[in-house]
Amino acid sequence: MQKQYAFLVDSERCIGCFTCAMACRNYYHQEEGIIWRQVYPLAEEIYPHRERAFFSLACNHCANPACLNVCPVNAYTKREKDGVVVHHQDKCIGCGNCIRSCPYGAPKYNPVAKRAEKCSMCHERLDADLKPACVQACPTDALQLIDLAELHQTNEVQYPAGFPKMESVNPSTRFILPQMPKMVRR
Amino acid sequence: MQSLELPLVLFTVFSQAAIGLTLMRAIRVSAGGPSGDAQREWRVIAGLMVVGMIGSLFHLGHPLGAPRAVTHLGSAWLSREVLFAGLFTGVAVIAALALIKENTTALVWIAAILGLGVITSAGMTYAPPALPAINNALPTMFFLTSAVILGAGFGSWFAGKERQPLMTRIFTTALVVGLVLNLIAPCVWISGGTVMHMTGKAWFASGFYWTHLAVLIACLAVLWKNKTIPTWLPVLALLGELAGRAGFFADTIHTATNIGGLY
Repeated sequence: MQKQYAFLVDSERCIGCFTCAMACRNYYHQEEGIIWRQVYPLAEEIYPHRERAFFSLACNHCANPACLNVCPVNAYTKREKDGVVVHHQDKCIGCGNCIRSCPYGAPKYNPVAKRAEKCSMCHERLDADLKPACVQACPTDALQLIDLAELHQTNEVQYPAGFPKMESVNPSTRFILPQMPKMVRR
Repeated sequence: MQSLELPLVLFTVFSQAAIGLTLMRAIRVSAGGPSGDAQREWRVIAGLMVVGMIGSLFHLGHPLGAPRAVTHLGSAWLSREVLFAGLFTGVAVIAALALIKENTTALVWIAAILGLGVITSAGMTYAPPALPAINNALPTMFFLTSAVILGAGFGSWFAGKERQPLMTRIFTTALVVGLVLNLIAPCVWISGGTVMHMTGKAWFASGFYWTHLAVLIACLAVLWKNKTIPTWLPVLALLGELAGRAGFFADTIHTATNIGGLY
C-alpha cells in the first residue's frame, strides 16, 4: 500500500475541549462561520452515559475523494507521496459541487473569496516535518497523525456509529471507540 | 432546509423545458405530416436554453471561470453536463438562426440526443453519495418527467391541430408519471435509513412539495374537463415544476447534517 496519511481519532481520550478546532482556526484565520475541523458530540443512542464522547473531524483525505471526482475544474489533487487531498483555491470557480457531494461535509463555502475551501492536513507543515496544527495542539493526544500503510490494525475502526459509512469514497480517518464507563457498586 | 439554489432551479427547469420541446418536435417530425412552425419553436428552445445558461452563472462564485467547467470530463458529471448543455444550446441557436425547413429531421434528432445527454448528466450530477435519498436514478427520472411535461405542454403551442391529441396524451401521461413518482419517492424514503427518513419528512413538511403536487393534480383536472391543453396550462405546469425543483434542492438532506447521530 502507498503512503496514506490519516487522522486517528481516539474517542477514549478525547475530552471535547475543541482545542483542535481552535488551533485550526488560529493557524488559518478562516472567515467568520467557516470551520474546517469540528468536534461532534455523539448522540445518546451511541454513547448512553453521563460522560459524553466526541468525534473530532475535518477532511478525511479519502482514498477515492468525492470532491476530487466531481470538481468540474480540477481544483482538487491527491498528493501521490502521502495521499493528502489538496484544494487549489486559485482554480476554484465556486460552483459548490464538492460541498454538495462530500458525504462528510468537509469542503465549506467561503463567502468572501466566493470559493470552496477545506482542511489540507497542513501539508506545508508536513513537508517541513511538522505535525498538523490540530494534532500538535491536542492536549490529550486524542488526535494523531498516522500512515495507513504502516498501521498494524488492532482496535481502530473505519466506520463507527455516528460516522457515515461511505465505502465508495473510502475515508482515511480511523477511530478508537470510547469505552463504556465502569459501574462501581457499594 | 438547505439552500434554495435558485439559479440551478432556473437552469434545470428551463433547460428541461427546451429539451422537452425538442423531444416533442422529434416525435411530431417522425410521426410525419406538418410539425408546426419550426423556426418559432427553435427560437423558443434556444431562448430557454440561453436564459437557463445565463441563470446558472449566478450560481458560481466566479462566473468568468465558467468556461473552465469542462476541464474534468474524465470523472466529473458536472463537466459533462456543461458540455452537453453547451452543444445542445449551440445546435438550438443554429437551428433558430438558419431558417430550418419543415422536414429537416437530422438537426432535430441530433438536438434530441444531446438533450438526453444533458438530462442524464444532470441526473448524475445531482445524485451524489452525500444525498442518499437521491443517490440513485431518481434525479434523472424527475428531470426526464419534467422535460416531457413541459415539452408536451409548451409543444401544444407549436403543434398543428391534428397533433393536439398526441400532445394531450403525452402531457397527461407525463403528469400521471410525475405525480406517482413524487408521491412514491418520499413514502419509500420514510422507510429508509436515518438521512433518507429525514429527507422524506422534510419533503412532506415542505410547501414546495405540496405546491408541486397540487399543480400536477390541477393540470390533470383541467385536462380531464377540457380534453385538450388550454394555452395557459403549460405556464401553470412550469410554475409547478419550478416549485418542485426548489424543494428538490432545499429539502433533500445531506449526510453531514447527522454526524454524531445514528445512520
